[in-house]
Amino acid sequence: MHNAQTRCPGEPDMEWDKSKVSTKIAQALRHTTFFTNYAIALFIILTLNFVLPRLMPGDPLLAIYGEEALVVMTPQLEAELIQRFSLDQSMSEQFVAYLLALLHGDLGYSYYYNEQVLDVITAFLPWTLLLAGSALIISTLIGLALGIESGYRRGKTLDKTLLSGLMFLNGFPDFFVGILLLLVFGVALGLVPLSGGLTPYSNLTGLALAGDVLHHLVTPLTALVLVWITSTYLLTRNTMITTLKEGFILTAKAKGCGRWRIKYRHAGRNSLLPVVTSIGLHLPHVITGALFIEIVFAYPGAGSLLYNSLLTRDYPLIQGILLLVTVAVLAVNLLVDLLYHKLDPRVNRAR
Amino acid sequence: MHVDYWREVTGSNLGKTGLIIIGLITALAVSAPLLTPYDPHEKTNTGAFSAPSKDHWLGTNDVRQDIWTRLLYGARTSLAVGFGVAVLSTFLSVLIGGTSAMFGGVYDRFWMRVVDAIIAVPSVIVIILVATYLRPNAALIILLLSLLTWPGGARVIRAQTLSLKERMHVSAARTFGASWSHILLHHIIPDLGPILIAMMIQDARRAVFMEAGLSFLGISDPSMISWGKMMQFARAYIYLDVWMWWLLPAGIALSLTLVGLSLTGFSLETALDPRLREEKDRFGKR
Repeated sequence: MHNAQTRCPGEPDMEWDKSKVSTKIAQALRHTTFFTNYAIALFIILTLNFVLPRLMPGDPLLAIYGEEALVVMTPQLEAELIQRFSLDQSMSEQFVAYLLALLHGDLGYSYYYNEQVLDVITAFLPWTLLLAGSALIISTLIGLALGIESGYRRGKTLDKTLLSGLMFLNGFPDFFVGILLLLVFGVALGLVPLSGGLTPYSNLTGLALAGDVLHHLVTPLTALVLVWITSTYLLTRNTMITTLKEGFILTAKAKGCGRWRIKYRHAGRNSLLPVVTSIGLHLPHVITGALFIEIVFAYPGAGSLLYNSLLTRDYPLIQGILLLVTVAVLAVNLLVDLLYHKLDPRVNRAR
Repeated sequence: MHVDYWREVTGSNLGKTGLIIIGLITALAVSAPLLTPYDPHEKTNTGAFSAPSKDHWLGTNDVRQDIWTRLLYGARTSLAVGFGVAVLSTFLSVLIGGTSAMFGGVYDRFWMRVVDAIIAVPSVIVIILVATYLRPNAALIILLLSLLTWPGGARVIRAQTLSLKERMHVSAARTFGASWSHILLHHIIPDLGPILIAMMIQDARRAVFMEAGLSFLGISDPSMISWGKMMQFARAYIYLDVWMWWLLPAGIALSLTLVGLSLTGFSLETALDPRLREEKDRFGKR
């Protein structure tokens, strides 16, 4: 309270109030700029989604709905669609109509699946979450364990083998790893199913169903885990190396702490924070990260759905998936950002 | 403390391996016409799906093209895309990040807002969306990827420039009346050298992967010769034996390129981070 002495008696504590208000304002400003980023990002995607099909040469209806749809198009339906997309009006009015339709949750109609785009996507999304979510958890746990061991034994044989092995593995593109696993375990050995997430028409229930799902899950999951381990591993190893140089490790050693205690309680625990942070940062990529693997295994997730819609040129579905995934990614990003600001006050001060 | 980055990278086993792999693949790509008598687009007289033989080291594909030839020319596409994106996106990063740090004010705030917005956009999705409609060739892929890659680098360059421009030699240059462009080009960029190269390697790695991925999805220019495309076509004949000399070599070539870039990038980053440099360096040459 340095201004307690200079303040005249009876004068209200203005100084303190002002600074409090200004931090409040600064905080509010920070939050708004923060949200504007996401708003701008969303706007970019929406605009791309709107502009691209209309930039294509020829009939925009053809670009929006694809060639196959035009075969079954009656003049009556065409008139209805033109009216629906306001294609007879100016670009700006079309854009407004497009945004309004989105606000109503109307992502369009898939001709291939003969269903609302939104319904098609919600049927496929849980599979992606199952595959990518479990891959993220497993790869993080393994990466953490290997990183602690490796960092603790820097320069030893174990560290060198792990480091070069995982760096080598990291170079492999996920879809190639998937194909290799499929060729070895699926085609050559016949141990795992070649595609899909379930045995079709099997009418399994309860445990048998869970077993079937797991049986289909194991190869795509392994492929993803193999590719994803390296980033957590490297991060943990790097933190271990820097933490082990700190003074408190020396103190612990001097106190006569056991090796196990130093490795896990003192150093390992400190490696957790950056790993948790990086999981948060990578969470949004989980949705897009499984894309190629899903396609290789024809796993019934959002990635395969996107691939099929590319093959069938089901444009409303392509746009719907991309839009929904983007919104999901942005939402997760926003949540992680907000949570991070809450958890680590230093982030706020650093800005 | 002066660090000889080149020696740091060539001194570590991982860095050496990475450089050798990249060198080897570059050599193969450059001398492709010398290593094969065939044209990558032309159909040979041998039947489709022929097994490896003296004439066709890796056999022929479904439309009777020589696979070894297409593998060699595929390296050109991958390397061109990787190199192109690395150069273009780093150029943009330096241009925007460097000038933002030099000028500050509204200009800086504007560009940093753009950077934040682009970073928030999931790039894989945007690339797929755009590629679906445009069917990009190599040049367009380079442009698209660069436009989405530069903001990450711009942030790094801006932060580095902000600290570098407070150094004594920069103040001295300013006193002598050096323009901002002179300061940026002659005093700041040379100091950023190793960071720029690490950034370029990272960008190249991502670009090579994305080009192969897009081709694997079948949404790039159909006439482009690409490892990703080879894998896409070969995958349709997985029940025949052809995958052994068609799918596998393409996948291995792609993986090796990515491994080479990862290893080089990793050893350079280790050299750049003073906390990670091996203990022995403290007592080595300064």
